[in-house]
Amino acid sequence: MIVRPHLCVRLIALLLCAGRTVGAQPPADSSLAMSFGRRPPDVRGVAVDARMAADLALGIGSTFRLSSTPDGLPETVVVAAIFEPRADPAEISRTAYRVRLHLDHLQQLTGSVDRVDRFALRVNSANRQAGIGSAALVDSAIARVNHVAFGFRAYRSSDIAVQSSRTFLVVERFHRAIGVITVVASAVFLLCLLLLTVEERRRQIAALRLMGISSTTIIRGIVFEAALVSLLGSLIGVGIGWTASALVNWHYQAVYRTPLAFALITPGIVAFAAGLSLCLGTLAGAIAAWRLVRQPPLQLLGR
Amino acid sequence: MRASLSFATLRHHPARTLLAIAGIAVAAALLLDMVMLATGMTDSFRSLLLVRGYQLRVAPKGTLPFDSEATIEGADRIVATLRSMNNIVAVSPVLGASITLPDNPLSSTFAIGIEPRVQGDYAVESGADLDPGAPLRVHAQGLSTRSLGSQVISAVVSSRFLERSRHAIGDTITIAAGIDAQLREVRTSRRVVIRGVARFHYVPDETPVMAISLGELRALLGNNYRDRVSLVMAQVATNDSTSVESARLQIAEAIPKVTAISTETAIRQVEERLSYFRQLAFVLGAISLSMGFLLVSTILAMSVNERRGEIAVMRAIGVQRTSVLGMVMLESVSLAAVGTVTGMLLGVLTARWLNTILGDFPGLPPSFEFFVWSATATARSMALLLVAGVLAGIIPAWNAASMPVVHALREEAVG
Repeated sequence: MIVRPHLCVRLIALLLCAGRTVGAQPPADSSLAMSFGRRPPDVRGVAVDARMAADLALGIGSTFRLSSTPDGLPETVVVAAIFEPRADPAEISRTAYRVRLHLDHLQQLTGSVDRVDRFALRVNSANRQAGIGSAALVDSAIARVNHVAFGFRAYRSSDIAVQSSRTFLVVERFHRAIGVITVVASAVFLLCLLLLTVEERRRQIAALRLMGISSTTIIRGIVFEAALVSLLGSLIGVGIGWTASALVNWHYQAVYRTPLAFALITPGIVAFAAGLSLCLGTLAGAIAAWRLVRQPPLQLLGR
Repeated sequence: MRASLSFATLRHHPARTLLAIAGIAVAAALLLDMVMLATGMTDSFRSLLLVRGYQLRVAPKGTLPFDSEATIEGADRIVATLRSMNNIVAVSPVLGASITLPDNPLSSTFAIGIEPRVQGDYAVESGADLDPGAPLRVHAQGLSTRSLGSQVISAVVSSRFLERSRHAIGDTITIAAGIDAQLREVRTSRRVVIRGVARFHYVPDETPVMAISLGELRALLGNNYRDRVSLVMAQVATNDSTSVESARLQIAEAIPKVTAISTETAIRQVEERLSYFRQLAFVLGAISLSMGFLLVSTILAMSVNERRGEIAVMRAIGVQRTSVLGMVMLESVSLAAVGTVTGMLLGVLTARWLNTILGDFPGLPPSFEFFVWSATATARSMALLLVAGVLAGIIPAWNAASMPVVHALREEAVG
């Protein structure tokens, strides 16, 4: 198993001493490479996130001071790398900056010597080749760790992922509920409009009936027209939706400074919207046409 | 006459009228929900923060309360300084930490250390509250630990704690801190009797939590926490925002290594984090208003078109323009009013449904609500939709009133 320890302690004090940029190249000894077996350099290198670098005008080689408490003894560090954090929806509303340090450096800075928050474990892939399934390997590893564990527990990564994605499941359910309400509202609106549009043509329908055109032909014509109107409306709606989603993405990506997409128009969504609109339009057209053709033509003319 | 004519027109096309009312009702329900969403979070959060009257929170510098694991060092002096301030009437220090429950189905729990007399974190629902005096004495049981003593201390826990630890009020359990995984030992442990079950105001429902006295928790956590707290809550004598802000500034000046946060600042911070919901509420509210407006205006425009002949005859026999205008406007207001009232009822039901969905949001206290009904929100939504209905009726009503009578009569006669 490969063991990768993590210590995630928030550095509550970030004392900026000198945002000095000394050059584009990182100092030779300050990169975030492994430093086991050799003495750490006097000024340790850290990696800062791109947002922090932009806001505080930090570049490769800039130095600043770090401390774990506001009144703690600060330590001067040098920016060895600037990283773009992985776009994570769970972190989107958090505005805290991120600094990455070597594990021993953070342990020493926070006084948490020989302590970590968690270990990430990867099961040995050699066993997988021996025919043991990946899930079984993970289960067996978890059972073994938990058997010997004292004061800690092992969890499957996918279980943790499920737990941490709960926020998005709730938001998704909320969006779906709002979607249901808006679909009902749009459906009523569409039905109303199409009924009115068809009813407005009472005289025209009466004339067609008097000319001898059958009720079926009239209904078919009206339904076809309603379907066409619904389809055209859907196309315009897709255009408006696309523009709106582009605006939403542009706005929120700027607000949260993230490449995440906030609104997505997928072929499935387009098909659902167009299909629903077509069904409702056709239904409304059929109902309105049936209501009109069952009345005598002269009554439609108001005679 | 105007009213009877308007209602006759609406009754003449029942399907159309019902559909229009249904459309306006759904739009009104959505609008009410969005107004409730936009204002509810703030109201709910404010009442949550002020549940025990503490208007100020003092947190480690640069952090929000319990937003990180950071703690305030030199806490006792800070608490003493705050208590010495004239305008502060109550100070409640809180320390939060994760502790271990050896040999328990619930391996660890979140614990808060509080001063029972001034605590503002929970309300006891059953059993008894913490009693800092007169601890019970029983024998510590076989753990390979350095026990802090044989005295049993009191604890108040959440119902989730009881459920997951499979204990009940009156049970005695062991809590511990400082795990040495290699020696398989906990550094310190304590016997605790569960005195009561409480509703914790600021802890999510799904999190098991235990409250013990601040001193006991500090002793359990060891020397590093001897003089530390996570948060201090302070109550200002007068509740107006100027006094609170003045006290906040005074604290910031007297104790520079902490951040003093007023209720209003905390609300602003939360609003920033949940700004998505406010913006969504604004967009959907605007859409539902436009939908109500379009629906009323379309229906009235078509209704007026259908009745050109009838309106022309009315005008020809001497009915005033203002009467025609009033008749169409009355139709518009009636549709909007009936739809809005129906929509308000529908809105309250849908808000409950949506609130249940968002209630599953992880990390939120159970009493936090997204949709909070208020008379103001309802009145605002109704007023907005009624105004939209009136505005939507203006153009069709004007068209009806200013119709050229002779031309319309000829059209009606000739076809």
